[in-house]
This record gives sequence, C-alpha cells and structure tokens, in this order.
Amino acid sequence: MAADPLAAASAHSREPRQDAYYWRFCATALSFAAFGLGAALVGLVLLPIVRLLPAMHERKRARARAVVRGALRLFLMLMHRSGGLSYQLSGRERLGRPGQLIVANHPSLIDVVFLLAYAPAAGCVVKHGLWRNPLTAAALRLAEYIPNEPTPAMIEAASAALRAGQTLIMFPEGTRTRCGRGPVFHRGAASVALRAATVLTPVYISVEPTTLTKAEPWYRIPARRPRFTLVVGADWDLSAYRHLPPPLASRALNAALEQEFEAYLGMPRLR
Amino acid sequence: MHHDDILEHIRNTLVELFQLDPALVTPAARLYEDLEIDSIDAVDLMDEIQRHTGSKVQPEDFHAVRTVADLIAVMQRLLPARND
Repeated sequence: MAADPLAAASAHSREPRQDAYYWRFCATALSFAAFGLGAALVGLVLLPIVRLLPAMHERKRARARAVVRGALRLFLMLMHRSGGLSYQLSGRERLGRPGQLIVANHPSLIDVVFLLAYAPAAGCVVKHGLWRNPLTAAALRLAEYIPNEPTPAMIEAASAALRAGQTLIMFPEGTRTRCGRGPVFHRGAASVALRAATVLTPVYISVEPTTLTKAEPWYRIPARRPRFTLVVGADWDLSAYRHLPPPLASRALNAALEQEFEAYLGMPRLR
Repeated sequence: MHHDDILEHIRNTLVELFQLDPALVTPAARLYEDLEIDSIDAVDLMDEIQRHTGSKVQPEDFHAVRTVADLIAVMQRLLPARND
C-alpha cells in the first residue's frame, strides 16, 4: 500500500462494503452530530461554570481539561459502542507522568481525541485554526492548550508547560500524514523534548483500513470497520543527545524519531 | 563590546552551534536563506545570546532579525543592559 497509493485507493473502493456498512455510516454521522452538540454543551454550559467557579488558575485549567477529557471519552464510547470504529490502546498506564512529552504520528482526524481522552490532565499543541472555531475556542483557551505556530513562542510555551510538570501531547507531523508515505516530522517537538521534557514517550497510531485522513471527508467511510491501534512505546533515551549543541541535537533526535516511527508503522502498512 | 568583537563572537557561536563554515558568517549573510538557520534554531540562538548578554531576550527582539548584521544590532542593544 505504501508503494502505490493510487492502486491502494482504487483497491480500497473496489472492496465490497461489509461490517454493516450502512449502519456504520449512520453511526458515524450520529457520532459526529453528537460531537458538535457535545462541544456546544461543553463550550456554552460546562466551561462557563468552570470559569465562574472561584478557584486557583491551575485548578480551573485542571477542571477544564477534565471536562474535555470526559466529553471525548463519551464520544469514543459512542463511536465504539455504535460500531463506527473499534480501537485498542496498550500501555496507557504510562501516559500522564509529570513533565512527560508524548509524541504521536497523525494518520487521522481523531488521533488527538484518543490521546486527550486517555492521557490524564495532559496539555496539547493543537492546530491554531481551532482558536478561531467558535465550537472549540472556549475549551482550548480555558484548558490552556498551545497553538501550533512554528514560532519561538510555541517552543517557549510548550517548554514552560513541561517545566511546570504538565504532561504535553505533540504531533510532530504538524498535520495529518499524507497517504502512502511515512511520517515527516517537524523539528519543534524534538527541540521541546530536549529543552524541557523529563521523559519522551512515543505513541504509534495505526488505522486499518485508513479513515478520516487528510484526503477524505468524514462521510466517506471505509468498506470495513476501521480499527485504531495505539501503542505506547518505550520511553526514549535522550542522554545520547545531551552532549551535542542544541540545534544538532534536535536534528539528530528528529531524524531518529522519524526513522523509529517509520520502522514501527512500516510493517502494518505493508499488509 | 565593539562591533567587530560582537561579529567575532557571533561567528564563533554560529560555527559551534550549527557547524557552519566561518567564512559564511558575514554581516550581510541572511540567516534563513544563506545559513539555513530556521525558526526553531532561532530559539537555541536566543538562549545562547541570553547566556552571553545576561539579559532576557524576548521573541519580539528576534522578529525583525534577518541577517547577521541584525543579530549584531540586537546584541549591541542588549549588552549595555547588563551593566545597568
């Protein structure tokens, strides 16, 4: 599939529709409608309550993140129970440590949903366009997620969050993976890891068959039920990079991460 | 610190951080196009300048920096602050 995306795409569409295709279509539509309604409920009711309840600033942030996490758990439960998708997450007990930077590849629209739903109280570097989306802006602001501009300000904000002991999620690809090739990482995550992370933990995400990619709208559901597999990898040893000057270290770490993700994800992609 | 000393310091810093050819580091050299120093590298560079000058470098200070000469100007602005 990696070799020839066009052939793969046409094979994809020729595959007979199975796993209760039409029901899955309805389940997916309903789940996304529920997501919209849930986001409105969270943004218009729950988060204003969090904002108004007197509490320390950190406490408010933690509550906002708990609300987001609960809402995303519900969304995943809905997608899963209705049969829209199936998923498996291994090693989740190693997510959510203080100062931990979690880096994941980004094959689908909803990767961040899985990670935010299962990494306790984590912050996240999120597409900056979502700050202008009225459905999501309130949540992003109160939960203090960080916009993904490739600027010194982003690097500083992400590093500060880690130094303060938060867990942080980053998608080094910056956008969803282009079909039929390995992930290409921007160096920002590697740089943040070396500056401020106590521990760097990769999460390998694969989706089979692919769905909700950059090239597909939500309603073009795959012929078979998509299965999301998320594997929390071993913590990355950063000591080898500590003796290099920072720019060379972040380049070396970024290249090593890219290679590791490609090697890990290469196998399922060839099936 | 004189202009030439600062240039010398910047040259040494860039050579050490980015393993550049010292001859490339001239005042007219553009950081991004000629030296391949991108916005992520700029953060590492800011840290280094901060260490050297002892005064906090703001991302805004770096906003208009395009060339090595701009970098010298930033250093000249920050260095006296240390003696205040």
